[in-house]
Amino acid sequence: MKTIPYEKLNEKIFFEQLDNGLKVFILPKPGFKKTFATFSTKYGSVDNHFQVEGKQKVKVPDGIAHFLEHKMFEEPTGDVFSQFSSQGASANAFTSFDRTVYLFSATEQIEKNIETLINFVQNPYFTDESVEKEKGIIGQEINMYKDNPDWRCYFGLIDAMYHTHPVHIDIAGTIDSISKITKEQLLECYYTFYHPSNMNLFIVGGVEPEQIMRLVKENQSHKNYEKQGNIKRYFENESSSVKEVKKITVLPVSLPKCLFGFKESELENESSGLLQRECEMKVLLDVLFGSSSDIYQKLYDEKLITDQFSHEYNGQYDFAFSIMGGETREPEMLLSRVKEEIDKVMKQGIEPAAFERSRKKKIGNFLRMLNSPESIASEFTRYQFKDIDLFDILTTYENLKIEQVNNRLNTHFDWTKMSASIVQSEENG
Amino acid sequence: MSNHLFERTSINNIRLHVLPTKRFKTYAISVYIGCPLSESTVTPVGLIPFVLRRGSMKYPETKQFRKKLDDMYGAGFGFDVVKRGDHQIIKFQMDVINDHFVNEKNSLLKQSIQFLGGTITNPYVENDAFSKSYVEAEKNTVQKRIEGLINDKIRYAAERCIQEMCKNEPYRLYALGQIDELKEITPTILYEEYKRWLRDAVMDIYVVGDTSLDEVEKFVKDHFNIHDKQQTEYEQKSNQGSTSQKQIKSVIEELDVTQGKLNMGLRTHVTYADKDYPTALMYNGILGSFPHSKLFVNVREKESLAYYSSSRFEGHKGIITIHSGIEINNYDKAVEIIKKQIEDLKKGIISNIELTHTKAMISNQLQEIQDSAFEMIGFDFNNILSGKERSSDELIQQINDVDILSISTFAEQIDLDTIYFLRDKKGEE
Repeated sequence: MKTIPYEKLNEKIFFEQLDNGLKVFILPKPGFKKTFATFSTKYGSVDNHFQVEGKQKVKVPDGIAHFLEHKMFEEPTGDVFSQFSSQGASANAFTSFDRTVYLFSATEQIEKNIETLINFVQNPYFTDESVEKEKGIIGQEINMYKDNPDWRCYFGLIDAMYHTHPVHIDIAGTIDSISKITKEQLLECYYTFYHPSNMNLFIVGGVEPEQIMRLVKENQSHKNYEKQGNIKRYFENESSSVKEVKKITVLPVSLPKCLFGFKESELENESSGLLQRECEMKVLLDVLFGSSSDIYQKLYDEKLITDQFSHEYNGQYDFAFSIMGGETREPEMLLSRVKEEIDKVMKQGIEPAAFERSRKKKIGNFLRMLNSPESIASEFTRYQFKDIDLFDILTTYENLKIEQVNNRLNTHFDWTKMSASIVQSEENG
Repeated sequence: MSNHLFERTSINNIRLHVLPTKRFKTYAISVYIGCPLSESTVTPVGLIPFVLRRGSMKYPETKQFRKKLDDMYGAGFGFDVVKRGDHQIIKFQMDVINDHFVNEKNSLLKQSIQFLGGTITNPYVENDAFSKSYVEAEKNTVQKRIEGLINDKIRYAAERCIQEMCKNEPYRLYALGQIDELKEITPTILYEEYKRWLRDAVMDIYVVGDTSLDEVEKFVKDHFNIHDKQQTEYEQKSNQGSTSQKQIKSVIEELDVTQGKLNMGLRTHVTYADKDYPTALMYNGILGSFPHSKLFVNVREKESLAYYSSSRFEGHKGIITIHSGIEINNYDKAVEIIKKQIEDLKKGIISNIELTHTKAMISNQLQEIQDSAFEMIGFDFNNILSGKERSSDELIQQINDVDILSISTFAEQIDLDTIYFLRDKKGEE
């Protein structure tokens, strides 16, 4: 077992990669009552076309990763939620573009709960009947999101940006696409992506690391996983242009919602570059649109944005984009005002004082995040799948230079790569 | 590790609660300011924190105000307007890095208390009134928020169900107030209202982090400029909402939605301070707050009628609300199944498994509170607000003592009061 100390932060991670390929990370938090564990596979909604070395190419229906997540909770003995409940743990799971995460938090019977977590995820059990039944539940989940304007606006924007990359597909799929899902397809995805070499286990809380590591190793030693070749994921060539400049969705809303963003066509292919770019973008967006920025305050005074205005950056190896916006009385005017303001900043570069402030703010936010075992587990895993060490974020921010952020400003805001997604009522339009 | 205890004192009739601990990387600060919920004051009081966050005498301009927060390593600052029972509570919150982790000469805790004290007790005023432009802008913000309730159908349905159920009680009021009332508010009226509120409301300040009661007391004394405070404790009204009615109220509302939202309101006639509170928590847990609960198992897992179906207990008001998203045509079936769960509880149809799982889950939730500074604060404030001293360990003990008979006896006094259904528009297209 390796230990990775982060002395400045007063944290230490214990790590080991087991023989079957599973990576195990343990972060002890002395004094904490709760233990939080995530068991994650690098498998999300974008992985719909793939091939394992030596096997056939496979194409599967949209929404299958999320469907599989739902079905994993079923065990021959019934629902695994019930077992977690009997052990005082609250369990959950989620599926995103690039990963599926199973998790629990508990204050007692930690070892038992860790075993339950590992065992249920490593034991697929579904019947034709239960697969059919789940379609009703997921159908209601899809309908719930259909009525949610924030959700529609957000995914509408990604859909507007991408022609072919599966990031533009709804994570849960559509009622039509999930109707085609079969037990056999679920098993095929399961055996491809839930191999230990494609997964990691992260445990944070008031635990004793040696003991937990022993338990996990012992558990895995009884399961005979054969070595699996690399998984190749296929993505059709994505054009550098956006698919639609503007996408409008009609839903009953009190005020139109407008999100807009820039699609990046030059992507990073190694981890340090990916992290560097992400930190530059986050500081840049905060300098431009943070609540203490000139632009934010002007647009707020002009009643073009509300205090819900937000921004984010999503950078991966195979897609990358920014998203900003919120509610507005005038989507078109908001877009043209933003362009005007950004063009001004581009001419003179960002203010050094604003840069410093945002950098400090990002460092503070990172440190505050370390108070929450949930956030650590979720963030650590997210970065792990991109081959980035979560704790490198701090040094990257510390070493960030204003010139780098100014360069980013000039490359990112390419107005030919912008899409907007607007949700409005019939009467707003 | 035993439970941590808050150390307490009071200054100028402001109560201070401090929990010295080295477990967190931050200082967590909360200020609760509460007054009775009433039609005549709910709107101006709800508007006050929005105006206060625009600027203080020390940082009159909003940008300066927010830059100060950024400079403090991106200190978290936020506020919330909520109703708890028949009180309207304004909560301000700050979360700032412990200086130990950054190179900061001036105590960040002191700077934070100074900042909060200035914001709350020394706001930016001109000619004995709030700034006209701030008040107008924030009236607009609050109006948009109230109007925006309809965008989130889940919250909208929950709020509408309460409105219908509590038609004749202050609890029907939305915490942010009413749009009609908002229009009448001028900068002078609001400033008068603010002074009255500051004088009459009950104020509690909480700090959790690496500090001491003496240190916090000194900072508060120096920076909270209030000397005429009278009210120092929350008034306790017993017999919450005992207006029992024999007839179940049924409300159907039509909007342009895909999914139907079925909500119900139940009166338990028990609130936080009552002896039966632990039984009420158990009742709610068995009915619907966990994945092993009757609602999740019967409405979702057995019948595939919904993606979510759960219940929530508002302990200060004594109301349980049920929430579910269903196919519109399944209304009758869903109502019948939910009613049957309520009936089964009355008949004592509760399995041992339901009992023990619910105990384990509630006990886990209560233990987890200790790992989060703000949750510890929230739990303690429940005691303060209800005038009932009950530690989480005591509550866990009392939960463990609840048996099936006491739950079914308790279940008999529960009245299903209102059924609210949000559905699509019939007969259009």
